Amino acid sequence: MKPARVSFVRRAKKATVFAAFCLFVAGCATAPLQDLKPGERPALETDEAGFWMVTDRIEAKLSTSGRIVKDPKINAYVRGIICRLTPEHCANIRLYVVRTPNFNASMMPNGAMQVWTGAILRSRNEAQLAYVIGHELSHYLRRHTIQQWRDARAKTDALAFFQLATALAGVPVVGMVVQIATMAGHFGFTRDQERESDRLGFEMMVQAGYDPREAAKVWEALLEEKDASDEPKKLIFFSTHPASEEREKTLAKMAEELGDNGGLVGKDKLAAVTSIYRGKWLRDELRHRDYPRLEVVIKQQIESWGQQGTLHYFQGELYRLRGEEEDAAKAVAAYQEALSTNDPPAQTHRALGLVYWSMDRPAEARAAFENYLLADPAADDRPMIESYIQQIKGGVS
Amino acid sequence: MTSLAGQGEYAGIRRCAAGAARILIVVAVGLYLTACAQTKAFVQSKDFERPSETVRVLLMPPDVELYELTTAGMLEPKADWTESAKTNVAYAFESILQERQANLLFYDSAAGKLAFDDAHLQAIKLHSAVGNSILLHKYLPQMALPTKKETFDWTLGEAATALRDTYDADYALFIHFRESFSSAGRATLIIVGALLGVGVRGGSQVGFASLVDLRSGDIVWFNRLASGTGDLRKADLARGASEKLLTEFPL
Repeated sequence: MKPARVSFVRRAKKATVFAAFCLFVAGCATAPLQDLKPGERPALETDEAGFWMVTDRIEAKLSTSGRIVKDPKINAYVRGIICRLTPEHCANIRLYVVRTPNFNASMMPNGAMQVWTGAILRSRNEAQLAYVIGHELSHYLRRHTIQQWRDARAKTDALAFFQLATALAGVPVVGMVVQIATMAGHFGFTRDQERESDRLGFEMMVQAGYDPREAAKVWEALLEEKDASDEPKKLIFFSTHPASEEREKTLAKMAEELGDNGGLVGKDKLAAVTSIYRGKWLRDELRHRDYPRLEVVIKQQIESWGQQGTLHYFQGELYRLRGEEEDAAKAVAAYQEALSTNDPPAQTHRALGLVYWSMDRPAEARAAFENYLLADPAADDRPMIESYIQQIKGGVS
Repeated sequence: MTSLAGQGEYAGIRRCAAGAARILIVVAVGLYLTACAQTKAFVQSKDFERPSETVRVLLMPPDVELYELTTAGMLEPKADWTESAKTNVAYAFESILQERQANLLFYDSAAGKLAFDDAHLQAIKLHSAVGNSILLHKYLPQMALPTKKETFDWTLGEAATALRDTYDADYALFIHFRESFSSAGRATLIIVGALLGVGVRGGSQVGFASLVDLRSGDIVWFNRLASGTGDLRKADLARGASEKLLTEFPL
């Protein structure tokens, strides 16, 4: 009797695990979806409508955020790119330019698009920004959010029973292994979506008459930045996005196949709208205190826009604030470079004065502070700077 | 939300995580007392007295969201359920307060919008942040703030005046509900789990209401409802939940 019962229990356990596994595999298949039509809103009873409802609420809150850039010129410019890429959907896209010092943009399923100032700062021309926007539009048109949800739901639904079954069968470790595989599987799914959006965004920018070779350059620049960054690198296995190297190579290959189409690069067009913000946005970037990364960003900016007072001033700020060995000398060199251009910010003199003072070079510090007050007689901090000059005169350091 | 770059640029994910954490907190508050519907109210001052008949109360559009609990315990937002729940809750509050002879005004936002005025929206946003803080710090003993343990002194400050200016109201009543229901898969898992002696969490209902003095911005009364049952999609049950939420309502 006894052996027979054991074998029955064993067989039952095996059958349970097998049944759960079949359910698990079946749960992974998700049906393909049609692209969103212009002006289409999902029917109220669908799962997709639920996500529109939630994002409508998030968008309403976002719309009055203090971080929204309201300048009508920038908004009209970026919106113009959206409409050039997708004239038929452009009326249904709400654009929010958000003051965030990072390279990113995002798309809600309901048509709310966020473009971060960090992405505009890093775009060296309109074609690059168009690729970024095309990528986001593809997420919206391909309805990636709901696809992602259905994938996650199907995979975890099956997993829940599978884990219960493995626990019941006395082999919980199997459930854990499958859980890890499921998570990795879901991240793989989102990476495929990103690849799809990269491809579709690229096709949209080409269709709209932009130079296809600019798309890959976005990733090339970002790679250089990431390699320099202090931030730890993530494991690709659990990444929501493919590696930048892969994205750069794929886009470069697609552009190579097309060759030079005589498309728009639009460097001056972008600069005409955004250059007045460069200083403000670099100040935001500085707040990360990720100095090696910012060093690369400023180097890239100088490569793009040439020897500008603002760019060298921030280069100096970077070294002054970092304050490592030899940074004081580097800061002085950068500030002097800024002052040799025809548009140095007045604060360059003040910053130079502070560095000289810290280097125990009071005469030069005093001269720099005096130059600051000459360059900006109405400076808010005039009394403070005057007190510095008095302190230096009195021999206090 | 889908975004362009993943690595290093976590803000979107962080926001989602923060959202999920908020939901978890609400759920935790809900779980704290699950067996049956429970309420626990706070008042700013014990001396608060029902003011004269001419007091005007602005009823804000109820902030309601309903979800389905997936087999694995994720929350799927449901637009159609939410629509009917919102209608039921708004109607329930209106009729209960009218039966109590309250002098009611209605906040009238355009369809699909939270507010028609930016200043109003700021007040609504602030109230939702303050309300969630109260849930966290006054209802979870382990999260009690040392300076607010014995007092109830939460305020929206000047943000509330925008509502008073537009409506000439003395108080605003804010209502918030989050409700979830087990999916078929979840229900099965609960039963299978129960047979095996494993507790699997089901749907829950959490709500709060707060009365804001529009002169000072102070929250003068606050109540929370937590329940393991309920169904705001049904008018009578929505009325029941609303009545419970208005227990000890001072006006």
